[in-house]
Amino acid sequence: MDSTSPQPEASKPAEYNAASITVLEGLEAVRKRPGMYIGDTFVRGLHHLVYEVVDNSVDEALAGFATQVNVLIHVDNSITVIDDGRGIPVGPHPTVIGMDTLDVVMTKLHAGGKFENSAYKVSGGLHGVGVSCVNALSDWLHIEVQRNGKVYQQKYARGVPQQQVAEIGVTDKRGTKVSFHPDPTIFEVKDYDFDTLSTRLRELAFLNAGLHITINDERTGKSHDFCFEGGIVSFVEYINSAKTPIHDKPIALKADKDQIQVEIAMQWNEGYDEKIFTFANNINTPEGGTHLSGFKAALTKSINGYAERSGAWKDIKEQPTGDDAREGLAAVISVKIPQPQFEGQTKQKLGNSEVKGLVESIVNERLQQWLDENPQTAKKIVNKIGDAARARIAARKARETVRRKGVLDGLSLPGKLADCREKDPAKSELYIVEGDSAGGSAKQGRNALFQAILPLRGKILNVEKARIEKMLSSDAIVTLITALGTGVRAGNNTEDYKPDDIRYHRIILMTDADVDGSHIRTLLLTFFFRQMPEIIERGYIYIAQPPLFKITRGKKELYVKDEEARDQYLLNIATERTKLVRADKSEVQGQEFKDLLSKVIKYETRLEKMSLRKDHRVIDALIQATTLTADLLKDDEASADQFDEMVKYLEGRHPELVEWFARNGTRRVPDPEHSAKKYIIATEVNGASRETIIDVPFLTSPEFRELVALKASFQAFGPAPYELHIGDALFTATTYQEVLKLALDDAQHGVTMQRYKGLGEMNPEQLRDTTMDPAVRTMMQVKVSDAVEAERLFSLLMGDEVEPRRDFIEKFALNANLDL
Amino acid sequence: MTSTAPQCPSCRKEVLLPGENSCFPFCSQRCRTIDLGKWLGGEYRIAAQSVDEDEDGDSPPPVRPTDA
Repeated sequence: MDSTSPQPEASKPAEYNAASITVLEGLEAVRKRPGMYIGDTFVRGLHHLVYEVVDNSVDEALAGFATQVNVLIHVDNSITVIDDGRGIPVGPHPTVIGMDTLDVVMTKLHAGGKFENSAYKVSGGLHGVGVSCVNALSDWLHIEVQRNGKVYQQKYARGVPQQQVAEIGVTDKRGTKVSFHPDPTIFEVKDYDFDTLSTRLRELAFLNAGLHITINDERTGKSHDFCFEGGIVSFVEYINSAKTPIHDKPIALKADKDQIQVEIAMQWNEGYDEKIFTFANNINTPEGGTHLSGFKAALTKSINGYAERSGAWKDIKEQPTGDDAREGLAAVISVKIPQPQFEGQTKQKLGNSEVKGLVESIVNERLQQWLDENPQTAKKIVNKIGDAARARIAARKARETVRRKGVLDGLSLPGKLADCREKDPAKSELYIVEGDSAGGSAKQGRNALFQAILPLRGKILNVEKARIEKMLSSDAIVTLITALGTGVRAGNNTEDYKPDDIRYHRIILMTDADVDGSHIRTLLLTFFFRQMPEIIERGYIYIAQPPLFKITRGKKELYVKDEEARDQYLLNIATERTKLVRADKSEVQGQEFKDLLSKVIKYETRLEKMSLRKDHRVIDALIQATTLTADLLKDDEASADQFDEMVKYLEGRHPELVEWFARNGTRRVPDPEHSAKKYIIATEVNGASRETIIDVPFLTSPEFRELVALKASFQAFGPAPYELHIGDALFTATTYQEVLKLALDDAQHGVTMQRYKGLGEMNPEQLRDTTMDPAVRTMMQVKVSDAVEAERLFSLLMGDEVEPRRDFIEKFALNANLDL
Repeated sequence: MTSTAPQCPSCRKEVLLPGENSCFPFCSQRCRTIDLGKWLGGEYRIAAQSVDEDEDGDSPPPVRPTDA
């Protein structure tokens, strides 16, 4: 203990007088038990010394006398703090006889600063221990006071004055300059941290609007210059600087009552963190206390009251909580009170009970008023809090379900799963089959060695009259997750979801080839994409391709997957039996004939697609009978000639249209955008009038050009009429379409075609032979090459907006997942 | 189709692409959990076209008519 006792320098015994002995009695306690006063003798305590001195300067600013504080870290880790306040009083102390006032301030513990009852009276100082503690714990401390036009100086060593207070010069400035060096025999660390000091000084600058605080680190040349006119409003903006605030300006509340000053600034951001900083007399209270609890109570009450009146939370089943209200909230609460009481282990909590009610009533009153005056912003805030509540409820529900259903146990597989014998995931397949009956067929048709079957039912809901919705039930989702073996993440624990534990590397969705089947598939894909994106990324998901048609010819049975494959099959038969003989007696048969017929089919298909917007008979005539180009639309006479040709062609084939033309005429209107004309041909399609527009964009479109190209290839037919030899019979046709029809009609003799709508229509053997046997099946691997676009499609299908969704379903229902 | 910045399926905020976002297609784990809650709560529904009895989870699988 001797080493920590005061060690006045032997060279100055004269100064070791009666006053010094009094000093020793007071400060000895500090040196003996520094932790009681400054927390510890490590980093925290070391930096605490600076805060004590700075706080004295800030007090001068609070009292309205100082405008700036400069802090210097010197190369020897000594510190200088300069302010432009009134300067510490100098001269004989009125009650402590024989001592200078400056010495009293620097050597006596503050009157209220009795550590026994842990209640320190402060105006702004940290824990109220005062600058005398700093003095006691510094091996040297020099102070210069500029006051009354004079400069005074005093020097201390470990708290002991080394001389009488000396007048060393004159000045027209005022203020106090304190330099000190922490006693290395007390402190276990010696290096000051620039950033730590900067953080606290920045905080002080925020808390004292307009106060100018600088810090310079002589060791490194680093410096900061803090001054915030906006005070704690600037503080909140600083906290939110890396976030996106949901409203422009922080809400600022300020009130003064019963000698207590309350200042609050707050702003919500789009994030989820709650960042509330609380201060009492500039002292950070990280453990909160009465000011914080008053604020929280009032915030929840005000917001809830406002939301109730505005009806913004009508759909939320339970009242949003305080946590919801504070999600994404950045706030600073600063109170200034005459007698702060700090509680808790580290004195970081405000204990004054009178503060709670005061803060609460101020926030209640002012925030209510603010919300009423700013309805736009209030709405944003209330919506944000509503979202937070919905999110909390949904997340809790997810966690509860996952826990209750034992999804994460991984112990038992769902009873519905017919697992395979193979245990190596790389060799195992899981068929997810819609419907129980199809599931039954799949179970019988599978290879149980490596193929597992999971029947899954989409649930039909009769939501309202004439509106039926389909969904996957909660149980279906749970069954699915359990069968896959990956678990799922319903919260922050990443361990709950392990894509590496997946039990199958091929997960094959097998649903009916109808719209409902495609919807179930879309639901499943969406689920995988959102909750288990890894398994799509790894290419584990496939879509089974069950056949659409079963073809029987004689004793031969054949399954084909779609219309195109069916047409190809029929074409093969047709070209076996049919040949075309041109006028010059040359023959077209075999592959050449098949290619030609394929092109006719393609031509017809394209025309058919076009018929949604245009009259396909008109387009056909345009292609077959004219050489109309975009350029010709610029020349009225030339284009009119072309249209005459078209009408002539139609006269022979579709006389009903010519009658229409006669009645309604063909309009030619200017098309200034293309410096040309456009033709609008009014006809009737299935009883409804239809306007076929022939303009530059249409004539230059890829669709039109393809039709023209196909027509060019039809020259291989030679001139009409066409002579067809089918088997032993002879036929004559006048159009390509007729040729196709005759050939296909013949091919269909003795061929029966069965269209499969549901998987259930196939027996287990058929299902195996067409869809499940790896030797013959085709499957489509789902790739998220453009995951972004995929999610967009999914969102549209699942979206809340009914209209675009319905639209989308109608257009893309069967193909939605193929766009992946 | 025009491609726009991807949006979080839960909160509709724009999200970063998979490389920079471990929660893709969501903006945050929180939003992913909300989505899971909706799946488990049967909130995702799409319009159905036909009503087949055997697809209704509440009714027993159909009994195929057999010749007596």
